[in-house]
Amino acid sequence: MYPTEFEYYRPKTLDEALELMKTVEEPKVIAGGQSLMPMLKLRFYEPACLIDLGAIPELKQVKLDEGGNLRIGAMVTHFEVIENGLIRENAPILASTAENIGDIQIRNRGTIGGSICEADPSADYPPTMFVLEASIVLLSKEGRRTVRIEDFIKGPYETDAREDEIAVEIIVPKSTDQYHVEKYARRKADFAVVSVAAIARTASDGSIEELRIAAGALTDGPERLKSLESALKGKKKDSVDLQTSISETVDALTPISDIHGGEEYRKYSLKMMLARVIKELIE
Amino acid sequence: MVTVNLTINGKEYSGETEPRMLLVHFIRDVLKLKGTHIGCDTGHCGACTIQWDGKPVKSCQILAVQAQGANLKTVEGLEGPNGELSIEQESFREKFALQCGYCTSGFLMMTNYLIRNNEEMTREEIREKLHGNYCMCTGYQQIVDAVQDAQRKYFAQKK
Ligand SMILES: Cc1cc2nc3c(=O)[nH]c(=O)nc-3n(C[C@H](O)[C@H](O)[C@H](O)COP(=O)(O)OP(=O)(O)OC[C@H]3O[C@@H](n4cnc5c(N)ncnc54)[C@H](O)[C@@H]3O)c2cc1C
Ligand code: FES
Ligand code: FES
Repeated sequence: MYPTEFEYYRPKTLDEALELMKTVEEPKVIAGGQSLMPMLKLRFYEPACLIDLGAIPELKQVKLDEGGNLRIGAMVTHFEVIENGLIRENAPILASTAENIGDIQIRNRGTIGGSICEADPSADYPPTMFVLEASIVLLSKEGRRTVRIEDFIKGPYETDAREDEIAVEIIVPKSTDQYHVEKYARRKADFAVVSVAAIARTASDGSIEELRIAAGALTDGPERLKSLESALKGKKKDSVDLQTSISETVDALTPISDIHGGEEYRKYSLKMMLARVIKELIE
Repeated sequence: MVTVNLTINGKEYSGETEPRMLLVHFIRDVLKLKGTHIGCDTGHCGACTIQWDGKPVKSCQILAVQAQGANLKTVEGLEGPNGELSIEQESFREKFALQCGYCTSGFLMMTNYLIRNNEEMTREEIREKLHGNYCMCTGYQQIVDAVQDAQRKYFAQKK
């Protein structure tokens, strides 16, 4: 099906874009369009005005700030996340995550800002952003605010961004700890049936000094598995009862249940995946 | 209506379009370059794959107006100045990598990109890099053969 009619704007500066967001009727941002185009075709959205962020150079930059945090422009593509030297050096887990998204063609168009604003519960970036404790910078004519990823993603396809706000950059604290991202899908380009992102650091005496784990493909959106983290953190790696801790955490979750996998199957798979990922990280 | 000016295969084109027209339809129906196909219209099958600044993208997932000023390449841009087949096209013909041919222009645009931007690829790597392109006829064996063959030809040519 074809999208409904809309007016199209292609601002060349961020200021111009923010002005449009404030003044035009029913504005809708288009970034890479890899989620939005299918939605427009299904007429799930029927915006009066489409604001294309594709011609704004400021949104395509990757920088390291004084605090050592990565600042990734919202319009940086998945391809650039994989290739960018600064990202590979300061948050290699993010580059690995981007490799799991869709296929080469999708990764050349789709953007990091677009994926996070779409807030698809099975998307690849969110669990990784949760363990990195990233934040999103939102801009509007009213001003600028920075929102933690856990507060930004409010639920499936629901974010904290207001209608007149544009996500301009993602702030990612430097993280060079051991990491592992894993996604299971029936075919590689599909969204995850189960997904896990984790980072860990073990001390020289074999105790688990730092551990952050998040899961995706859950009914209410991605989640940090804090009960599992606290059950393991500070413990010696040989003295933990991994199976019991994992079971307790996963049994309390509600994975998505659909044609790609029922709840029971997804819970079972998530347990297996977590056991493997954590073992690999702490060994 | 909006006027879109862009470059395709090194030539400048200009056409009128509604903002909601897909790039694939603009290329086929307004500019009359019929080599690019449309299959699924959902971003899955890869039949509509073209190159944008040398990188493959799916033209059914892009609006024509977004391509204002863009530098594109379509399957028509592969052939030589006197209509000779490119190495990718030659390999696809020699290895029987097409039957109905519907998917072929998409696979050719991927092959053109992949053989130039990778070290020698294994069969597994080729399959993995082509998973955004579907072929309903061949069973993929011959397509993988053709990509390997085209890469060998490309490397030989470069020496
Ligand atoms: C075949 C296919 C396979 C895919 N497979 C995967 C996969 O395996 N894993 C995965 O994670 N994703 C997958 N995707 C989705 C893909 O990653 C999209 O690129 C991404 O979800 C959206 O990014 P975009 O730049 O294309 O955003 P768009 O589609 O342009 O926008 C998405 C939404 O975010 C809003 N938005 C975009 N940018 C901003 C901004 N800066 N500020 C405010 N709002 C904004 C838009 O209004 C829209 O509602 C797939 C898509 C396709 C078509
Ligand atoms: S027609 Fe574009 S991906 Fe199938
Ligand atoms: S040759 Fe028929 S779909 Fe590939």
